[in-house]
Amino acid sequence: TCRVSMSLAEIRAAFTAIKANIQARDPIRTLSILSHPHSLHKVKSADRCCITHQLLTFYVDKVFKHCRTEDSFVNRKISSIANSFLSARRRLGQCHEQNNCMCGEESTEKFKQILANYEELNVTSAAMKSLGELDILLDWMDKSR
Amino acid sequence: SGELYCSLPNPRNVRFESVNMKNVLHWLAPEGTGDGVLYKVKYAVYGVGKWIRKPECRNINRTWCDLSSETSDYEEQYYASVKAFLNGTCSDWMETTRFNPLTDTKIDPPMVSVSSTDRSISIILTAPEKWKGSPEEDSISLLQVYPGLQYNVSVLNKKTKKRWLFSISNNTLVVPWLEPGTAYCVSAQIHVTTPLLDSGFSKEYCITTLKDK
Repeated sequence: TCRVSMSLAEIRAAFTAIKANIQARDPIRTLSILSHPHSLHKVKSADRCCITHQLLTFYVDKVFKHCRTEDSFVNRKISSIANSFLSARRRLGQCHEQNNCMCGEESTEKFKQILANYEELNVTSAAMKSLGELDILLDWMDKSR
Repeated sequence: SGELYCSLPNPRNVRFESVNMKNVLHWLAPEGTGDGVLYKVKYAVYGVGKWIRKPECRNINRTWCDLSSETSDYEEQYYASVKAFLNGTCSDWMETTRFNPLTDTKIDPPMVSVSSTDRSISIILTAPEKWKGSPEEDSISLLQVYPGLQYNVSVLNKKTKKRWLFSISNNTLVVPWLEPGTAYCVSAQIHVTTPLLDSGFSKEYCITTLKDK
């Protein structure tokens, strides 16, 4: 299986610094991108690598680029998180190409639900909500290390 | 109740205060209102549609409400909200920010027990337990909640005032090569790297090594 080192503590620190600012931009309480109806915490260990790879790609391709704000401090933190995701995705991608990070039916289904949640909102709202849920992703990554 | 138009000032600073995942909603009374204000409370799981009323916190005059059992699943995140009532009028609902029990709780210091020989002291540390609703419930150590939990331990030689600091992952520490018949004071802190959470240091536990045989 793939083992990719990712400085979760650094990403956490960057996110914690902007969490209140980002979450305040998301007024919708009734929809979650990552945690409902399926919780990341219910992902089987066999699917973890694939889901991680899909989520890193999701954040790089569909979230960070749509989260520019008027606050340069927030923007700097977002780009430092994005860079961490980019390098982790690159390393995980290599592993994926060597067929060590296979996607089963369940993880494909779960990721489809995440995309469906994302597409319920306009791009900016969906991206900002996804960014505000980074602690949900990091909590899951922490737990499943 | 006939809440036609809410003209009462709003409750202020509505927020969760959490220690070891005992999650209590706190707020300040609306500005300029004396006694007699009553409140009601509701909460919601983030990502799920509906608000849920908290019956035990309906028409209360205190400014806190224990939502620990309603927010005990730390894989979820929550909002809570408070509304004030006085003389037939009311305030708006005032919401918290999104509450994540895992990252937004504070952790108490560990329990410390110390024993000594003539040239060493042994320290045993115990992480606090997660809040639980009743004594019959199974205890969950915060060590299970935060697998990366570590301890920072401070050992002070009372005579020379020399201090050592240790960072350990398991919960026992033996400090060797000490001076016989000397007082040492131990204090410990919990450190979680991710999410970043530090407890305060425990109070000092002092012990004197046995005299030389």
